[in-house]
Amino acid sequence: MRKAAKKTKRFFRRFWRGLREWCGDAAYESYLRSKARHVGSCRTLSQAEFYVEQLNRRYSRPNRCC
Amino acid sequence: MKRVLSVLAWVVVALLGAGALGAIAIHRGEPLNAMWFVIAALCCYLVAFRLYSAFVAAKVLALDDTRATPAERHDDGRDFVPTNKWVLFGHHFAAIAGPGPLVGPTLAAQFGYLPGTLWLIVGAAFGGCVQDFVILFCSIRRDGKSLGQMAREEVSRRGGIIAQLAVLAIIIILLGVIALVVVNALRASPWATFTISMTLPIALLLGVYLRFLRPGKVVEASVIGLAFVLFVVVAGRWVAESPSWSHVFTLGGVSLAIAIIIYGYIASVLPVWLLLAPRDYLIAFIKAGAIFSLAAGILFVRPDVLMPPLTRFIDGTGPVFAGKIFPFCFITIACGAISGFHSLISSGTTPKMILRESQARFIGYGAMLLESFVGVMAMVAACAMTPGVYFAINSPAGIVGSTPDAVAAMTTSWGYPLTGQTMVDMAHAVGEQTLLNRTGGAPSLAVGMAQIFSNTIGGGRLLGIWYHFAIMFEALFVLTVLDAGTRVGRFMIHEMGGHLWKPLARTNWLPAVLLCSAVIVGSWGYFLYQGVIDPLGGINSLWPLFGIANQLLAAVALVVATTILMKMGRLRWIWVTMIPMAALIIITMTSSYQKILSPNPRIGFLSGANELAAQIASGIVPAARIAETHRLMFNLRLDAVVTSILVVMILLLIIEALVQWYGILSRRREAVLHESPYIATRWAPNFSGATHDAVVGDAIGDD
Repeated sequence: MRKAAKKTKRFFRRFWRGLREWCGDAAYESYLRSKARHVGSCRTLSQAEFYVEQLNRRYSRPNRCC
Repeated sequence: MKRVLSVLAWVVVALLGAGALGAIAIHRGEPLNAMWFVIAALCCYLVAFRLYSAFVAAKVLALDDTRATPAERHDDGRDFVPTNKWVLFGHHFAAIAGPGPLVGPTLAAQFGYLPGTLWLIVGAAFGGCVQDFVILFCSIRRDGKSLGQMAREEVSRRGGIIAQLAVLAIIIILLGVIALVVVNALRASPWATFTISMTLPIALLLGVYLRFLRPGKVVEASVIGLAFVLFVVVAGRWVAESPSWSHVFTLGGVSLAIAIIIYGYIASVLPVWLLLAPRDYLIAFIKAGAIFSLAAGILFVRPDVLMPPLTRFIDGTGPVFAGKIFPFCFITIACGAISGFHSLISSGTTPKMILRESQARFIGYGAMLLESFVGVMAMVAACAMTPGVYFAINSPAGIVGSTPDAVAAMTTSWGYPLTGQTMVDMAHAVGEQTLLNRTGGAPSLAVGMAQIFSNTIGGGRLLGIWYHFAIMFEALFVLTVLDAGTRVGRFMIHEMGGHLWKPLARTNWLPAVLLCSAVIVGSWGYFLYQGVIDPLGGINSLWPLFGIANQLLAAVALVVATTILMKMGRLRWIWVTMIPMAALIIITMTSSYQKILSPNPRIGFLSGANELAAQIASGIVPAARIAETHRLMFNLRLDAVVTSILVVMILLLIIEALVQWYGILSRRREAVLHESPYIATRWAPNFSGATHDAVVGDAIGDD
């Protein structure tokens, strides 16, 4: 029973994480992780700066289909 | 033993699929249950994925998981983000799934359910999915390069320019046509017009919230937005029932077209965070929810399909659009079976986020199968209503008349019985003034969806709410493509204009922004206006034009893919891309020829213009309508010129490719591939983006 509850909890945690990644909610966290992996590259953007920069990039190329 | 069981299970799936497909194909007489469609489609998709995509992955492309993908090599947390395959599947599907697979099959239902359903399944398995998969693979091997860049490098420089021009042309035509679908859905509908116009202030509110109050908190903003949107769907009924407010939101076609053109211009000029992105967030969850609900509703209600397998309109005399089953069924279905636009997504964001080459099969091939399934569900929803109702909603006034009795008499004379009172009652039940002559596919799809939803939850009392929920979903869906497409088109104009005058290339210089926005919005706006004033409803001429442009772009993508396979030395398997490419070239060339030169004025643009000229010359046209008739003639000739330009561009690209292929096969030209050099992956075989994120997330205290 406890094992099933643990599995369910893990499933929902993964689902929640996947949902946040899918809709862009976790984009800034991914960016910070990438910065942590590549120490020494250019200045780390604030969350607001990253949000605007990311949107400008995303909507400058085809990202929605017919 | 396990292997034997697995083989047996797949044999059962294959037999089940073949049986269901056979039942759909040979069934006559009593209505067929929609479950046959669902079983046939799902079993065929499973077999196609298990066998054909595995064959393409192993033999044709020889996917290599030891090779580092662009996401690993360039991991920058911005464009190149290693992403879990399920999340990326969701991303990719959300990007490729537009209104096309909903509207196309709905329109193609005028031929009956059989041709459209077969093409949706077969065309996707052997055409659309292969295109998406192969282009995704090619882009992964080239650091995420776009289709235009690959065409330039692998075919020729001219090929790249042609591909870029084809993309701009398809964007302009696409935006004009889908805007027309929205206009026809909102025309004379205060409830729907109120709901959609209220999404504007909601999006602006979310934009400010996400920019200044809670930057990047997309989930919570989407939940807030969703609550507002559902409220305005319900509130639309109060507006429609209020005589004074109803008057304010009852707009004609031209007024709606002008409003949408102004909206498109504003969305293109305003900062992306203020309107465009929040509108996208609004629709993301609604889109996923509506598609899932439609599938669940069909499984729950299991409606009977009332449309016959083939209608009398396979002879080309259909009221929804003119033209015979070949080639117009294929051109009309378009995105649900194969879509050239997908190649832009497969060579855009997705290849930069994928973890391993082998995942291209699941994401590229699998997501297109799902899109095809959306098309099958739209076909079921359209065919589940009585044929008379379907034709009454989708036929223009110029063909069936505009009063309930006239429309009913016409559809009954075609062999699809209907009474005028049925249409009056149905319009009343969904809270509309009329459902007659609502061309474009969106209203009839909304009626079909509303009937399925209301049979699941709420019954007849909620039919109006469900209808307007479906209209809101379709219109928001379209407007999201419209504003995002306008912005991309604007950037392309910046790039091309920059070759003529350098300052035009600056995407943040206000005069350039205003000018380039005006050019792109003016271009699609003209097509929209042309459709709105067309007495045949616009869809008859513009949807085939869109279908031709879309399928020609798919032919471009398959020409590029075939050239790359040839250079890779996979001559033995080249038919995998060459057969769908040849099929598309035959389909698009035949339909282009017929749309330009057919002597039937309802099909041929030029004969349509000539017929109008003859009417003016013989004095049939009243003096007050001569100027308008001249405008219609100009539009038809313009459509003929646009179609001709598209055809010439693609023929030039094919010639370029043939020269390249001849050079390679005759060994006069070296087959130089422009792949990125091989770098071995450093990720463990069981590495997944989510695990990776969790590990690093724990390290920075996020998890």
